[in-house]
Amino acid sequence: MDGGKVTLGRTAGLYIGAAVLRLAIFTLLPGLPDLLTGRVEISTPVTSFKRLQEGLFLYNHNVSPYDGGVYHQAPLFLPLFSLLPSFATYPIFTYLLYIAVDLLNARALWRIANSGEAGSSALFTSPRREKRWSGFVIAAVFLFNPFTVATCIGRSTSVFTTCAILHAIAKAVSGAPLGAMVALSFASYLSMYPLLLLPPLLLLCYDRQRPERAVKSSLAFASIHVSIVAGVLALLFQMSYLITGSWEFLPSTYGVQLTLSDLTPNVGLWWYFFIEMFDSFRSFFLAVFWLHLSCYVGGLSVRIRRQPLVVLTLLLGIIAIFKPYPSISDTSLFLAMVPLYRHVFPLMRYSFVIAAVIMYATFLGPAFYHLWIYAGSGNANFFYAITLVWGLGQSLLVCDLMFAVLRDEWEVERPEMVGKEIRQI
Amino acid sequence: MPTPNVAGFSTLRARAYLFRLPLFTRAVLAAIGLFWILGVQVWWDVRAWGALVPDKLGFATLYRLNTFPFIHLNVFHALMNALALTPLLERFESEYGTLTSLALFFGPLTTLPAFMYVAVEKWILRADTAVMGASMWVFVLLGMEAIRTYKANPYLVVGTHHIPTWTTPIALLLCVAALVPSSSFLGHLAGLLVGYICGLGYLKFLAPPERVLRWVEGKLNLLGRLPHYVSVDQKTYGRFGVLPSSGSPPPTSVALPLYPYPVPEHQAQPSRESFCEEHLGTAAGQDAKITSALQLRRDPRILKLPPYLSLLFVVVGAVWLFLLPLDQYSRRTYISENALLPGQVHTYFGGSDQNVFRAYKHEVNALAGKSNVEINNSLEPIVKGLGLKTARQNFTYHAAGRTYAGENLYAILQAPRGDATEAIVLVAAWENVKHELNRNGIPLALTLARYFKRWSLWSKDIILLLTPDSIAGPQAWVDAYHDAHDPSRVASLPLKSGLLQGAIAIDYAQEGRFESLHIVYDGVNGQLPNLDLINSVVSIARGQMGIDVALQEMWRHSDDYKDRLRTMLRGMLKQGLGLASGPHSSFIPYHVDAVTLRPFGEGWQDEMALGRVVEGSFRSLNNLLEHLHQSFFFYLLMHRERFVSIGTYLPSAMLVAANFTIMAIALWVKSGHSEGGGQATADSKTVTPANHAAERDLSLPLGVVTLCQVLSVIPLYLFNHVPESALTPLFITFALLNTLLPPVLSHLLATKTTFTLAQYDLVQCFSLLLLGMFLSSLATLNFSLALIIGLLAAPLSFVRPFSPSPTSGLKRIACAVLLNAVSPTAVLLAGALYWRLDVRSVLRDAAVAWHVTGTYSPVVVWCVWWPAWLAGQLIVLARPAPASASARRSNGAWAGDDGKVKGE
Repeated sequence: MDGGKVTLGRTAGLYIGAAVLRLAIFTLLPGLPDLLTGRVEISTPVTSFKRLQEGLFLYNHNVSPYDGGVYHQAPLFLPLFSLLPSFATYPIFTYLLYIAVDLLNARALWRIANSGEAGSSALFTSPRREKRWSGFVIAAVFLFNPFTVATCIGRSTSVFTTCAILHAIAKAVSGAPLGAMVALSFASYLSMYPLLLLPPLLLLCYDRQRPERAVKSSLAFASIHVSIVAGVLALLFQMSYLITGSWEFLPSTYGVQLTLSDLTPNVGLWWYFFIEMFDSFRSFFLAVFWLHLSCYVGGLSVRIRRQPLVVLTLLLGIIAIFKPYPSISDTSLFLAMVPLYRHVFPLMRYSFVIAAVIMYATFLGPAFYHLWIYAGSGNANFFYAITLVWGLGQSLLVCDLMFAVLRDEWEVERPEMVGKEIRQI
Repeated sequence: MPTPNVAGFSTLRARAYLFRLPLFTRAVLAAIGLFWILGVQVWWDVRAWGALVPDKLGFATLYRLNTFPFIHLNVFHALMNALALTPLLERFESEYGTLTSLALFFGPLTTLPAFMYVAVEKWILRADTAVMGASMWVFVLLGMEAIRTYKANPYLVVGTHHIPTWTTPIALLLCVAALVPSSSFLGHLAGLLVGYICGLGYLKFLAPPERVLRWVEGKLNLLGRLPHYVSVDQKTYGRFGVLPSSGSPPPTSVALPLYPYPVPEHQAQPSRESFCEEHLGTAAGQDAKITSALQLRRDPRILKLPPYLSLLFVVVGAVWLFLLPLDQYSRRTYISENALLPGQVHTYFGGSDQNVFRAYKHEVNALAGKSNVEINNSLEPIVKGLGLKTARQNFTYHAAGRTYAGENLYAILQAPRGDATEAIVLVAAWENVKHELNRNGIPLALTLARYFKRWSLWSKDIILLLTPDSIAGPQAWVDAYHDAHDPSRVASLPLKSGLLQGAIAIDYAQEGRFESLHIVYDGVNGQLPNLDLINSVVSIARGQMGIDVALQEMWRHSDDYKDRLRTMLRGMLKQGLGLASGPHSSFIPYHVDAVTLRPFGEGWQDEMALGRVVEGSFRSLNNLLEHLHQSFFFYLLMHRERFVSIGTYLPSAMLVAANFTIMAIALWVKSGHSEGGGQATADSKTVTPANHAAERDLSLPLGVVTLCQVLSVIPLYLFNHVPESALTPLFITFALLNTLLPPVLSHLLATKTTFTLAQYDLVQCFSLLLLGMFLSSLATLNFSLALIIGLLAAPLSFVRPFSPSPTSGLKRIACAVLLNAVSPTAVLLAGALYWRLDVRSVLRDAAVAWHVTGTYSPVVVWCVWWPAWLAGQLIVLARPAPASASARRSNGAWAGDDGKVKGE
């Protein structure tokens, strides 16, 4: 951890260590992957590996994968996974794919960290930026985060979305707006919600353009890149249409996310609410919930215009709390981005509380789920209460990080207030 | 004038306010508290003694008129009333003086409303509702305040409506009557009326004349003698200003507004107005300096509080447990599920079935000592002959170097009136848990199966399950029934029926007649069957058959405190160990309610009587329309008809678990303080007081705690995987290593690293945080285990590194030895000695339970308790490096990056 000398050996050691850890879990604990795949905290209806297997089976037997209403994931997963040798006979290839995706994610994070964007963006340079963690530490924190490992072992397909998002950001900070837009289109194609990240990502790309081929006009820049996203998305949809032979996949994938037709419990806040809801209010509250989720984009992008990466981080946190089918995979993505802000950690006020709340929720969640589903001695309220606590922990982290970042900016504006105690009102 | 709000709340001011409460108010609060404490004990019912009961009001009981305001129903009642009363009474007293308050509140202001209440209640309503509590005073005072407000500020304007301000207490009265359960509307109304009358000045003549009071005051020199006394002579000391208190002046270091109570706008008196403005002005000026909550947070006294608080939690948690057997805290059992109708049908088992039973018993006796397969070969034709479909299932378990294999035989009686979607199981194991031959149980089960076949009223299938032993056999069968088995060890079931609704196991190994019935109900991992099932069996056995029932091997139970406590503690111990206690135990984790019936004692009840109990229970289960769900799943039984439910007992374990969390938080705060304080003075430029807590060096402490957790996998693995013969040597070796490991680790930490005190604090903080977290999660799954471990680990909250001094070495060693006495190994050994068990057999049973029934108690012992204990031992043996040494080394590093990390 100490210092700039990150040799090739250490890098390789980190990656090999992470890969070996995952392989060891896959092979030494053969029951664990299936156990984790069944956990609602890891697998949601739109990311479950089991459902992917079902879709794959239908696809390989020339039936529409969306028949039966089990598979709700993007069609392009199907050719990808049919290319691999069959999971039933050679699971190792699937394992290797997932491990590779995790390592790619770590690599993208590494690049984001080394760009120094978190400490000094084009419009703002934090006075505290010297105190930061190297890419090595940040990649290690991501790779050995239990949530990341559990997601990988549970083979949730959300890791592909994570991969696309991280690469979009990595491309953006390294001054490759085109790549960023393509990666974001992939992410949006896979999970839809990353489209919400487009505005801050555009800002980030705009700020980090290479001077030799910069587009000066922001309007022109935005319109070019939005049309790139639209184009890539259209292309992906067309390919999906060709693969599945109908447009049925649109309602079955994005429709399910928009209308929350599958009410399997998860760690989010939607399912319980919509179980309890009378049908006549359903569409209204769907609109309200989606509006709520998307309303943060504009506000944050405007308020923290000078640090678009902060906006992206905070949005990832907000999405992990409020999206319709969240899982710990989304939290692991958010937690992967948070250490980039090592320099504002001293300004955070509730780090212990946040850590304690998240840990308590992590342990009480499965216990209460067990009481509800298996022991039969609890009910749905038990688990829902814990998902509320889980949401609370994450929102505390989002708020606290936001406070720290804003305070950091504010101290640059008001140097006389450095170190003074302030109160939020 | 500023209105009170949350942001403006200042703990300093609140504290000052509390310190400056005048004498009579304090006395009243103390009396309320005292009477509440008196009400906690059970011997003398203070509430019956002092409440205002209209019918009991005679000449000799007039004291009730004055005692009732002090006595409250429960702690919340007392607390709420005290909260409401304090500001009002404080104001009244500081305005009229202590003596006047005393006279009025022990005179007319209490008796008048009380008389009004009694009059209306007794002679008009002809009822007899007892009232108690200070809320009547609250309304008296509110009434007076409201009239004063009305005089100064007559109307509230809401929209275009003018609402007279004197009506506000009426709104409050209605709210209280509507929202607060069992509040006395009439009593409050009486209080309010008297308050209005008093406020309008019609009761002035009742107040003692000032002259007399002054005389008394002067004679007795009350002002000089009593602290916080408010004189009658307001003119001397300023009517609303500084309280003319003879108590010590407030500490000058704490600047505070002298009239901390937020003054409403209606105070018309000019003197008061000006005074308040002046003082609130200063308060506003200080607001910037005193950010109240933060101020309190830094109070060093607050940091000293947590150990006491956490000790209090542990003590309350433990004492709570011993209160549970009292009548006030436990409840009588009752049947919740009305469909069960226990004991409502005639049972016909008996008569010629007795001969059938003898014939089967003859067959079974002939099979004693034969191999499992031979037995099944002989029994299967018998069962088949009854017209039941039969099947067999093989299973093999390996644990502690032994093989537990066997073959289950089971048969399904298809319900004449059912659709095979539900089933009830009748289990008889060839051997019970003590490895005695189930001599009468097997023939009885066969006879019952034959008898059940003759009836056409079954709406659920009945499964007869005959297993070779009491633990592995039923476990294998239930696992396979729910397709949760490992096919390599346990064969799948060739024949299945519907969802299991209940199971009853017969364990009748004793020869001859019996006296009473022992119900065994503990499941694996402390899970329990629905209380309704136990209640049904109790009600059938006692009510219908006249057979007495015992629980938890309490063969004689006199239903007194001692026996109840003993039953409860035995139940908790069994629950905590989480072992299977009979053939029924394996069913319970699958949410199948099950009990084992074991007859005991010498009496005149015969096998037919037990058969009738089983028949009655099956008839009740047969009635069920849905799975048992009405009654409790979490309870502690202390007598066959007395229990406490989770709501009553859970706080005990939660308090014990919370004590660890409190200490963890306290240590976290402390670890930040010790460095923060030093650095802030030395170098105020680099440290931002805004984040007062200094940055903590987390990586080493986290590493140590992680190391402890990782090490814990070793004993868990070893104790569950070595053969039985090696268990005792392993235990001895491990116990020795366990004693040596902390000193070695501690020595390494002291020599190889520069661990500061703050870092040791962090080690303890993380370890306690984890412990508290695990235990509070566990308390929801297995209350008893969480409580037992929590109490055994409680000393870990209070261990501290010894500061260097000549005697510290000795103290350290003494403390380490003491802590060794509560180590997992020592406790295991002590338990084995106390119950006269072999350590080897204890460890073997644990390993078998781990492999066969999936008992998780070993995980809790080795992976929750042991690492926490290890960390605690490291804390005791700690020799922290001086803070300056490491401050140089890792200046403000957050995770050991030494502040040297630069971009790459």
